[in-house]
Amino acid sequence: MTAQRAVGAPVARRDAFEKAVGAAKYASDLFLDDMLWVAVLRSKYPHARIRRIDTSKAESHPNVVAVFTHRDVPVNRYGLFKKDRPVLCDDKVRYIGDPIALVAAETREDALEALKLIEVDYEPLPPVTDPIEAMRPDAPKVHDDGNICREVHLRLGDVDGAFARADVIVENTYRTGAQIHAYLETEAGISYMEDGKIVVVAGGQSPYRDRAEIAHALNLPEEMIRVVTPYVGGAFGGKDDITVQIHLALVTWKTGRPARLVWSREESMMAGTKRHPAIIKIRTAATRDGTILANKIEIVLDKGAYTALGPAVLDVAVENCNGPYRVQASQIDAYLVYTNNMVASAFRGFGAPQVIFAIERQMDLLAKKLGMDPLELRLKNALRKGDRYVFGNVLEGSVGIAQCLEVARSHPLWRSRGRNSCEWPWLRRGVGVAAAMKGYTIGALPDKGVVALELLRDGRVLVKGSFTEIGQGVIQAVAQIAADLLGVSVDDVEVVFADTEVTPDTSVTSASRQLFLAGNAVREAVEALRERVAELEGRLSGRRPARVEFSGGWVFIDSERRYSLQELARLLESTGLGRQVLGVYEVPRVEPLPGTLEIPHLFYMFGVTLAEVLVNLLTGEVTVSKVVSIVDAGRVINPITFTGQVEGAVAQGIGFALMEDAKIRDGYLLTRDLSTYLIPSSKDVPEIEVIPVETEEAEGPFGAKGIGEIGIISVAPAILNAVADATGVEPNAIPLTHERLYWLLKEHGLVEQLRRAST
Amino acid sequence: MQHLADVEVYSVRTLREALELLSSVKGLRVIAGGTDLIVQLKTGVVPKTNLLDVSRVDELRYVRFEDGILRIGALTTFMEIYRSELVRRHAPLLAEAAFTVGSFQIMNKGTIGGNIVNASPAADSLPPLYALNAELKIVGPRGERFVRIQDFYKGYKKLDLMADELVAEVRIRPPGEGYVGHFFKHGLRRGDAIAVVNGAVLLRLSPEGIVRDARVALGAVAPTVVRSPSSERVLVGSRLSPEVMWRAAEAVVNDISPIDDVRGSAAYRRELSVNYVFMTLYRIARETGVVA
Amino acid sequence: MARRAAVRTVQRRARGPVPQAKVPIRVKINGVEYSHEVEPRLLLVHYIRDVVGLTGTHIGCDTSNCGACTVLMKGTWGNEWRAVKSCTLYAVQADGAEIITIEGLAKNGELHPLQKAFWEHHALQCGYCTPGMILAALGFLKLNPNPTREEIRKGISGNLCRCTGYVNIVKAIEAAAKEIREKGSWI
Repeated sequence: MTAQRAVGAPVARRDAFEKAVGAAKYASDLFLDDMLWVAVLRSKYPHARIRRIDTSKAESHPNVVAVFTHRDVPVNRYGLFKKDRPVLCDDKVRYIGDPIALVAAETREDALEALKLIEVDYEPLPPVTDPIEAMRPDAPKVHDDGNICREVHLRLGDVDGAFARADVIVENTYRTGAQIHAYLETEAGISYMEDGKIVVVAGGQSPYRDRAEIAHALNLPEEMIRVVTPYVGGAFGGKDDITVQIHLALVTWKTGRPARLVWSREESMMAGTKRHPAIIKIRTAATRDGTILANKIEIVLDKGAYTALGPAVLDVAVENCNGPYRVQASQIDAYLVYTNNMVASAFRGFGAPQVIFAIERQMDLLAKKLGMDPLELRLKNALRKGDRYVFGNVLEGSVGIAQCLEVARSHPLWRSRGRNSCEWPWLRRGVGVAAAMKGYTIGALPDKGVVALELLRDGRVLVKGSFTEIGQGVIQAVAQIAADLLGVSVDDVEVVFADTEVTPDTSVTSASRQLFLAGNAVREAVEALRERVAELEGRLSGRRPARVEFSGGWVFIDSERRYSLQELARLLESTGLGRQVLGVYEVPRVEPLPGTLEIPHLFYMFGVTLAEVLVNLLTGEVTVSKVVSIVDAGRVINPITFTGQVEGAVAQGIGFALMEDAKIRDGYLLTRDLSTYLIPSSKDVPEIEVIPVETEEAEGPFGAKGIGEIGIISVAPAILNAVADATGVEPNAIPLTHERLYWLLKEHGLVEQLRRAST
Repeated sequence: MQHLADVEVYSVRTLREALELLSSVKGLRVIAGGTDLIVQLKTGVVPKTNLLDVSRVDELRYVRFEDGILRIGALTTFMEIYRSELVRRHAPLLAEAAFTVGSFQIMNKGTIGGNIVNASPAADSLPPLYALNAELKIVGPRGERFVRIQDFYKGYKKLDLMADELVAEVRIRPPGEGYVGHFFKHGLRRGDAIAVVNGAVLLRLSPEGIVRDARVALGAVAPTVVRSPSSERVLVGSRLSPEVMWRAAEAVVNDISPIDDVRGSAAYRRELSVNYVFMTLYRIARETGVVA
Repeated sequence: MARRAAVRTVQRRARGPVPQAKVPIRVKINGVEYSHEVEPRLLLVHYIRDVVGLTGTHIGCDTSNCGACTVLMKGTWGNEWRAVKSCTLYAVQADGAEIITIEGLAKNGELHPLQKAFWEHHALQCGYCTPGMILAALGFLKLNPNPTREEIRKGISGNLCRCTGYVNIVKAIEAAAKEIREKGSWI
């Protein structure tokens, strides 16, 4: 029987079965016998010195087993770029989610009650919550070494010459907000001792990295810790940093007992990471015919209290801030600034949604000034394969932005632009376009992934890797790739994932590159298996074969002989060669520009979003009535997971653009639940049309590209460009809430105009 | 950091049992659908609370039309109200509001009596009840009494209700022929959301398009839901022209006193009140053929 | 099937000293009678998950906004099956009631039409909202067996999903509605 090709087929996901019947276990679904309930005491102030922590009353609570503070943490600083984050605060608290103490008790209620018995003597310090203010030398210091966490200054090409030559110059300032991940499962985990090891089972994105962080904080060898990542109830970057893991390991290590820690929604809102709020100033020089000559760009990202993944986010912002255009010169000054706001870190798009929002609004404003069609302006400047990008890098990977723009140009939605009659006099219709780009893979940083491939005795195949299933469908995609490479049915491929004890390190699940990495590692593993077969054949027949082919559940050797995979497994085992091989894939990389971490990337993803909106002039409400997402997808591995990923990204983009308004006043979060921090519901997301533009990424497995993030990046600017098209008002800050837009409309006289027109 | 307030739950099946417990146990809080109360009890700032669970007092779950009066038992859920032919016929404004109080799960559990007694100024069922001049039947150890909905609220969450009394029934006298109206609500998303402003407009129009009676009620813009006599005065006796609609809409600012909160500023609420009254009047005018 | 590394999970038994009197309750869940003594402040969702051990019913928000904890219930608030959010209900209020959770939908190994449709139409990604979404949809289809897409969107507007953008969820419910109508049995 010949196996049907799995890559490219819309196959229902294997994990979806367990999830649909309620059998899938998430970290928050795990309960252990004799388990302690852990609760975290968090800071009352955005910025304060801790004078004294008195836990004696909490400790004497009858059902409390232990209370822990910084005194119990062997190495009290963690973090991926900079070890600046306390496991439990000692000298100071730097934001309202900062953890001060842990209570471990027999029941949930006991743990929560005991939190109230802990006395903390604070000396409140003036908080600094505006990043621009924080950059001033006299601002209160969040950390002793000052508030600028990182800065990047690049001078690319002849910027002054370009501005001197320009026919038009456009300058604007753009702002984006602190979007909250709001995954449905909050940060959660359990821990227990097994065979002398601490086992932590928690929602995360990178078991090996989490293990390293735990080992460092507890000052234990990594081998003493096992991290397992079960199904994760959404991550989007928000579980890329440590959340519950070190706290759980500490409790189990100190008490010897199993423990459970699940953050409440409020805790998740306050202590979970956010998207970096950004202030971006762009000054663009262009010629009369619409050729962009140069951009001067200033980026300020609000880091919040700790570094987390901020430096890499800043670099992504810097790399993509010129957009997918042939810009010859650019001056970029970027700052990552500490404040006493909540910690910002990874969130789908990782710095790109902020800068692409800015540059894509800027493109529309430039088009308006030039009197050009905004889509034609983009097409005129769009990058093509082989172009030299602004960093001097030649784009050798696939570059599908022009194709995406051409699809947009001929789409009926774009062609209906300007046909704006509405049902009620106070409604206005508009259509907007925006383009997106983002480098994927980790760029100039070393990035290596390993998977193990085991031929089971019954002839089926087991793939093991530390990739995490955060909803994106990586398990299914890996199975499909392995099935095709080995010529077996996808049902004969088992996948074990995300367990440091069982699976090799496939690096981190982030930056839209896990499939790219794992898929390529699987390809390498199949090569290794082929090599192993050749070795086997050498031993058996004394002659190394020239060709080893897998097909239909058989391995063919020089078209002379064949073994079933079951037979092959038996032979590999009996000869001692072993049934398991490793595949190692190292992402090709380029030397980073001096002063940057990972600029440029070798591969880029591209996309274009079209959005149709209805604006109510009397309320400021924007209804998104249609979205078309055109994605340069490389080869699509599984069309249904692909469109699903893009649709989900679009919905998050709608939230980012219009309603997800984390209200923060003086460092305090006012929107601490899903009643005040609103994410899009089924009534807020329209029908979404996803159009893949399949270019071939030669380096990707089966020509696939990363697609996890691209769908969100140009949604917000497309929506705001549509609002501008509908109303003539040019909003440059998001979220564009009803109230913010209403005042803009009123300021521009639209409310009054409507009134005069109707009377 | 969610900490459930400690509770004691007394569960009853009949109105009599409920009233007896209310008289004999001090400090009982009545819980019906619990859609808001349990969320409040989860914040942990509430001390131990004794709850009287009336969710199974089935005798208070009904919609009837008797003696020309629509009677809705206090424990009737919003789903039942929304689906009731009687409500749709005699108080369509209320059916509209019932559909927007929340998701189906909220409609399945939330009761009209709970919504009334919870006394949120943003409660969606209240503006229609104000516009319909609804009356509440209140029962207690001293028997029953009737209170107009407007008189039931004495201030922010201050009720004309003794600790041993229960709201048992909502009574609505159908306004009669020629009345048209709509409920409106502004939430910050199209799905489930608490109203930034809500309200109801109910008009009786003559065949020539002259307003004979006008009732304008607004929520979330004052400590209690309010009627806008200023707006109603502009409307009554006038022809429903865009100019009159704007004047009537703008008059509502005399009768409201909104505040700033996390969902919107006072100034925005003022603008929304005006603009929604205008939009609703316009909608009524268009539906009745007064404007094109 | 994706295989998970073995994790030592044990049913949690009610344990530890409790500060106050417990109340006996009897609840029928997925056709099985359960009786336990519970604290009055125990929420139904915690009862279902922590005490009974049916962890397919999830918790996403604590404030009744997300719908992940939705179950079907009969016997409180009337005697018809209705979708309710089990986080805004005490377990003691469910005394004597009947409940259906996600674990009770598949019959003899055969998926319920909604489960099948969610699986086949890729109406889930992380899957955490799925059980609540399916039960909300079922409660809704019981009231409106032949809905339009717009009505479906209202029907599940109390259930948040952060992964899918809802498009495939709406399609799945539409497909399941058709199958349920053809089968003539909603459960």
